[in-house]
Amino acid sequence: MTVMPVLNTDLPTKLSVRNLDFFYGDNQALKSITMGLRTNKVTAFIGPSGCGKSTLLRVLNRMYDLYPKQRAQGEVLLDGENILDPGVDVNLLRARVGMVFQKPTPFPMSIYDNIAFGIRLYEKLSKADLDERVEDALRGAALWEEVKDKLHMSGLGLSGGQQQRLCIARSVAVQPEVILFDEPCSALDPISTAKVEELIDELSERYTIAIVTHNMQQAVRVSDYTAFMYLGELIEFGETDSVFTTPREKRTQDYITGRFG
Amino acid sequence: MMNDHTVKAYDRDLETLGRRIAEMGGIAEKMLAEAMDALAAFDVTLAQRVVLTDTRLDALQREIEESAILTIAKRQPLAVDLRECIAAIRISGDLERVGDLAKNIAKRTVKIVGEARVPRAIIGLKSMHDVAALQLKDALDAYALRDTERAHAVWINDAELDALEDSVFRDLLTFMMEDPRNISFCTHLLFCSKNLERIGDHTTNIAETVIYLVTGEPMPTERPKTRAPGVTSENPPSAPH
Repeated sequence: MTVMPVLNTDLPTKLSVRNLDFFYGDNQALKSITMGLRTNKVTAFIGPSGCGKSTLLRVLNRMYDLYPKQRAQGEVLLDGENILDPGVDVNLLRARVGMVFQKPTPFPMSIYDNIAFGIRLYEKLSKADLDERVEDALRGAALWEEVKDKLHMSGLGLSGGQQQRLCIARSVAVQPEVILFDEPCSALDPISTAKVEELIDELSERYTIAIVTHNMQQAVRVSDYTAFMYLGELIEFGETDSVFTTPREKRTQDYITGRFG
Repeated sequence: MMNDHTVKAYDRDLETLGRRIAEMGGIAEKMLAEAMDALAAFDVTLAQRVVLTDTRLDALQREIEESAILTIAKRQPLAVDLRECIAAIRISGDLERVGDLAKNIAKRTVKIVGEARVPRAIIGLKSMHDVAALQLKDALDAYALRDTERAHAVWINDAELDALEDSVFRDLLTFMMEDPRNISFCTHLLFCSKNLERIGDHTTNIAETVIYLVTGEPMPTERPKTRAPGVTSENPPSAPH
């Protein structure tokens, strides 16, 4: 059963999920999900392990296409167009809808090339223009000051927190509209976590953000809306302040107060 | 029925808060009852015992606050758990004030022991005390049982205490006008009636906190008031010519 959000429908929705089902082989991992990502807002997905939140995230930019026996049915509308249609260019989609993973995944190349790689795939730019785009991306990820004098150093030589911000810069470089974060801070120390949270705050002014997190307090801090999922269903969706202070569903309250399981 | 927390110590932390509030409530109730008994019987020894008891109440309030603050820091509570911590802080503050007001009534007993007495004047005060004591008991029961209906009744019934205070005020004025030798005694009782009315206000605060605790919603700001028009403690008559 899906809980229809009680929200101000005048606010624009960037990405709209309608009656989404998802299957790993015969196993149904998502059941009739209906919800939306508000434009330039941060939406958090929370729920116990196996609830489907990461699965849902991976549908939003069709990452599941890379794996056999995984299929989605229903609609996912990005600016009104269904991204699940077979005719959609998935590479272009993944530039518009970027993803940052739990474990930082810098390419085994220089910091500069990490950023330039994605840009070069789609655009032919002069060196000056490319330099500017790389700098903008690194500034956008609050990393420029730390790496501007070592752009030709390998990305693998950065600290964990810096590598994660490099991955964020890489997503930002191809001028996305939506950025998906899958537990971006789980592998980071508290200071790096704070820097990434600050970054998400800044990024939400220009992009629509979705974040999967196990950290309840992080969800409260960074998000405007929260979706609570359990066993493949959307149990509750609403403004973050309300969900965490006066949740409507008992299961939501049990989960956020540590009474689950 | 609430499930238990996965971390059992969390349940114990919250249970301890509830138990300490109940302990504080019991002490405050006893102080109120004994303060009134001391006043009615002009019993200075009992009155002084009430004054000394207030120290224990103050210490309990500090313990409860520290406990709640530590729970907030340690557990990062959300939703109903967070409201439990906030409720404990608020209610312990209200109970501490109830204790102070009962102590003040007891101090008056010591002061009036040498004055000319007006036994009729105590009667109205006793009625006020009985209502206030029942309000306090009901508010504490509402908290213990997380009973919003009982809390709502306490909130509504405060109007009765306000009305009683007005009638006590008029009676005391009458006694003072009858005989100037009554003035000192009746003035002390006037302060006592104000203290009882304030105790009533604190019991409605506790009731409001219980409703917030259970529902997450605040009470409406305006309580129905039933003060009589004309002479009231907020609208005293001009001096007689």
